[in-house]
Amino acid sequence: MSIYTMGIDVGSTSSKCVILKDGQEIVCKSLVASGTGTSGPDRAVAELLEKSGLKKEDMSYILATGYGRNSIDWVDQQMSELSCHARGAYHLFPEVHTVIDIGGQDVKVLQIENGAMVNFQMNDKCAAGTGRFLDVMARVLEVNVSDLAELGAKSTKKIGISSTCTVFAESEVISQLAQGSDKCDIINGIHHSIANRVAGLTHRVGVRDQLVMTGGVAQNSGVVKALEEELGHTILTSPITQYVGALGASLFAYQKALKK
Amino acid sequence: MSIEVLLNEFKEIAANPAKQLNDCKAAGKKAIGVLPYFAPEELVYAAGMMPFGIWGSNTKTINRSKEYCATFYCTIAQLALEMLLDGTMDQLDGIITPTICDTLRPMSQNFRVSMGDKMKVIFLAHPQNRAKEYGITFCMKQYGNIRKELEELKGSPISDEAILDAIKVYNKSRAARRKFVKLANEHCDVITPIKRSAVLKASYFMMKDVYTEKLEALNAELEKLPVCNWKGVKVVTSGIICDNPKLLQIFEDNNIAIAADDVAHESRMIRVDAPEEGDPMRALAQQFAMQDYDVLLYDPASEQNRRAEFVAQMVKDSGAQGLVLFMQQFCDPEEMEYPSFKKALDEADIPHIKLGVDQQMRDFGQASTAIQAFADVLSTR
Repeated sequence: MSIYTMGIDVGSTSSKCVILKDGQEIVCKSLVASGTGTSGPDRAVAELLEKSGLKKEDMSYILATGYGRNSIDWVDQQMSELSCHARGAYHLFPEVHTVIDIGGQDVKVLQIENGAMVNFQMNDKCAAGTGRFLDVMARVLEVNVSDLAELGAKSTKKIGISSTCTVFAESEVISQLAQGSDKCDIINGIHHSIANRVAGLTHRVGVRDQLVMTGGVAQNSGVVKALEEELGHTILTSPITQYVGALGASLFAYQKALKK
Repeated sequence: MSIEVLLNEFKEIAANPAKQLNDCKAAGKKAIGVLPYFAPEELVYAAGMMPFGIWGSNTKTINRSKEYCATFYCTIAQLALEMLLDGTMDQLDGIITPTICDTLRPMSQNFRVSMGDKMKVIFLAHPQNRAKEYGITFCMKQYGNIRKELEELKGSPISDEAILDAIKVYNKSRAARRKFVKLANEHCDVITPIKRSAVLKASYFMMKDVYTEKLEALNAELEKLPVCNWKGVKVVTSGIICDNPKLLQIFEDNNIAIAADDVAHESRMIRVDAPEEGDPMRALAQQFAMQDYDVLLYDPASEQNRRAEFVAQMVKDSGAQGLVLFMQQFCDPEEMEYPSFKKALDEADIPHIKLGVDQQMRDFGQASTAIQAFADVLSTR
């Protein structure tokens, strides 16, 4: 009989779920673009169960992770998203030694040895270098966050966004717009601004290949490319990068289920 | 008295300093606010007054103190002033303002100007070269000023005998606290991080003889217990202050015990005793001269990284697996020290995390994630 486990990653801006069969096969996944404190987690779970045709009772173990992990009290266990991203990244990339996870409101860099997280760094209480930074900038530039990578790739001129503070950087972007700078150049500058910030954090942990980037911002190829330039290392990403935390949670859940 | 009853008493006192101040004044005693840190509280005690620790607040919001403070002043200093301005500390008869860091130095003048005639503001400048004879002489003069100001408030002299007696009371209290810290490690299943913090914090709001008697009773009860077989992880904490129960709750939620601490508000205040014989003013100055391994103290041999190695050794000796550094926002000395601090910990193979904190924090979501992840890291080592 198969063992089903569920991982729920309640982030600050989105909720992700994964159901895993026997600790290997992703049976189903769901994503709702609303995070902790909203109906997002419940909707993500409901969508997951509906799509999979499974029930909560079919799950041998359910584990929650992410910033809002403690807001879900009906699960078997809560675990930090750092451990879950490390576990998920190791599952997808068995040779991984460094993980950069840029989420909605924080950045984490993890050092992995034989699949276990042995060291990590997180950003301070600051939105610089996070998904929130991109959200704010996209709003100012009147573009969709999902279009940032494509627009940034069209840049022909390097514009520096020097401020690390999101609020000051927003003023800087507005100033650039007022001066008539091209949006694509500004976006490219924003990507490099994030990369610069994240690279500093990464160097505190140290970079060892394979270097994997997880979290929603990893979908932005402009940030990934800028970060590769800053670090001088190739960065690997997964098509399911947003689900790596939930995947890690479902993998831990499987380990727990076996011990039940 | 049972451990539970004693712990509850300490908890109540630590959580309700205003009540302690009211009770003190109702009993006809004068009270002197003592700002961080290294002020010779013994002089206040010898004057028959209550020394009342002012280390900021976890519940107040910075408002009126903004009129006096630059935004880059730490919240400990700003909230201390806030409580002096908003009436919380109106019952104090005076305050002692040490100037041990670059924030407290200008703050001492903000305290003086803002308090006006409201209460006596007693300035204290510790010597940088505290161990040299001229440093001790300077320190004695500074302490002499405090003695004089307190005598003015008291209306009569403070005798040398009274100061020597106070030194004995304080040495006894420091010894009891050192013993408690050791027992808290051995019985971390009973003395959880929140309870440990409350017991140590209560010392700032009680007459030391009363506090010590209660603490010795607790120590005696703890000694009767078998040493616990702790299944979680243990850490050493470091920083200026980490007394917020919400923050410490995260430790408890993740089965993290505190094996020892390098926290100014806690063990750094009880490391060194004063000589109990001879000139009591010199004894107090000598006590300050003997203070060591503190981020705010001048170290002529700083290139040797002695302080960081001392803390790394503390982690090993206490049986902790790692260290949690609570770095106060805008604390320049702590921030400047961090690279060498990290170097010593890395060389000793001691994992650590640095948490940026301030006393205006109300949400600890990010700290919770970091602490939980750190527990995961430590448990796999």
